[in-house]
Amino acid sequence: MSSTQKALLKKLVVTAAFFGIGVFYLIPYIWLVLTGFRMTVDTLAIPPRFIFAPTFSGFKYIFGPVRFQWYLLNSFVIASIATFVVILVAAPAAYALVNLGIRAKTFLYSIIVARMIPAVSIVVPIYLMAIKLGLLDTYQILIAIYATVNLPFAIWMMRAFFRDVPPSLREAAIIDGCSEFRVFRSVFMPISAGGALATAVFVFIACWNELLFALVLTNSKAATAPLAMVNFRTDWGIQWNAIGAGAVVLSTPVIVFAVAMQRYLIRGMTMGSVK
Amino acid sequence: MSREHISASSLRGYLWISPAAAMLILVLALPMIYSLKASFTASSLLSPGSEQDFVGWSNYWQTLTDPEYRMAVVTTVAYAILAVSIELVLGTFVALMLNETFFLTPVLRSAWIVPMVVTPAIVGLFWILLYDETHGIFNYALVKLGFSPVPWLDVNHAFTSIVIMDVWQSTPFFALVMLAGLQSRNEEILEAARVDGASPLQCFYYLTISHLMPYMLIASSFRIIAAMGDFDKIYMLTAGGPGLVTTTLSIQTYKVGFNTFDIGRTAAMAWLFLLIVLIISGPLICYLGKTSDAER
Repeated sequence: MSSTQKALLKKLVVTAAFFGIGVFYLIPYIWLVLTGFRMTVDTLAIPPRFIFAPTFSGFKYIFGPVRFQWYLLNSFVIASIATFVVILVAAPAAYALVNLGIRAKTFLYSIIVARMIPAVSIVVPIYLMAIKLGLLDTYQILIAIYATVNLPFAIWMMRAFFRDVPPSLREAAIIDGCSEFRVFRSVFMPISAGGALATAVFVFIACWNELLFALVLTNSKAATAPLAMVNFRTDWGIQWNAIGAGAVVLSTPVIVFAVAMQRYLIRGMTMGSVK
Repeated sequence: MSREHISASSLRGYLWISPAAAMLILVLALPMIYSLKASFTASSLLSPGSEQDFVGWSNYWQTLTDPEYRMAVVTTVAYAILAVSIELVLGTFVALMLNETFFLTPVLRSAWIVPMVVTPAIVGLFWILLYDETHGIFNYALVKLGFSPVPWLDVNHAFTSIVIMDVWQSTPFFALVMLAGLQSRNEEILEAARVDGASPLQCFYYLTISHLMPYMLIASSFRIIAAMGDFDKIYMLTAGGPGLVTTTLSIQTYKVGFNTFDIGRTAAMAWLFLLIVLIISGPLICYLGKTSDAER
């Protein structure tokens, strides 16, 4: 065997082994997806059945009597509007931090600190305020909370992207008579569009996956999809096919988004300290 | 630039950050100030008018002397540190693996992202099935391998089970951070070390591990802080039970808040929790603040 053949063989063996490890690691997720296409009796069978007659009963159940589509719509509307608000507010703030020469140390530190606050430590006062304002179980309250808790992350991330834009571009545009807003809108935003999109995707995922605030602040009208899944766990047993089906519906778009944006994923999760 | 110019531009700058500042003040700062005030009262949703009933430090004192609270602190810290230590080691190995050359690299790298982004509430809910004593695939595998089945969610094992669940979900985060670290390594130095006769073990220790050190610190800091606040998946899997063995500070604060409606007490717990998290994240906050200044 020539050395190139040997190298090729080695690469093949390594590939197979690593894919084996990957599949092994993903068994909990694979099992979850299979559960969505399986009768609950098959799910509970021992030895486990990897091969079974696939069924859509779980999907029929959640999109029939449970009206899961309605909760999905709530989740989608709330997460989309919150994301839109976040980008609308975070982008100018990030621009000002990078370009307008403000010594906003206090503001910088307060957004880092705000990022570290555990959700549960603000959930009770927010619940009380929601009662006072009559906002329990409304879109508005979840949108306001989701937008605010994700704002520090978004400002930080947008700031990192704006810093990659050469400052000379701004100076040139200003000399040519552009207003600051025009520079922001026509120079910085287009150049950082990819970064803004990545930021938006991560904010959307965070809103889409959130349970605690939805659990506390909503119960029917504005209930989100993760909250609806809590109810698949009933007193007379857990409907595994419904949970599997709901999980497939809920997690597929998130996985597609995250994989598409993986280039930015780590940068975002570490607030830019790892590129 | 003249002084007037600077002050004019910074005034405009504050205008640009004002919507963000307004949101943070209205939706985060105000409720927190409200809860700070409430933490010094006997406020309870069950007795009207009690929010004016000032009791001094009594809520804090009661919380700090409560054995259940101390247990929750220990559980939270143990959960975060144990899970993060395992994730760090496993994640580094996975990163070394993903850094090798093989076919279809992007496919495999993407696959490791999946656990990170699956809704935590679903992870908690679904792991009930995986951990099931008779129907779960974990026990099936254990029995096949000749071990006796484990009652994963009983008093003796539930804590280990929440740690394992988090290890599954968060190891990919460490793997991807370490992978970014490995890819920023200068291959020439590695080559030079080899030529100079360094053993593979020496290369690994002095060049790989020491190079990854800052990445390890950053990933661990972020994850420890997030793990201390974990609620969704623990709540769905065990809801803090059986007994109190998986009751972390998040679960306990939630339960005291929404089972007893003792607002004064909950507010004190929330503030103590925040204080603990801020102390632990102190170094990270300083690091982020400092590096952000140095960059530009």
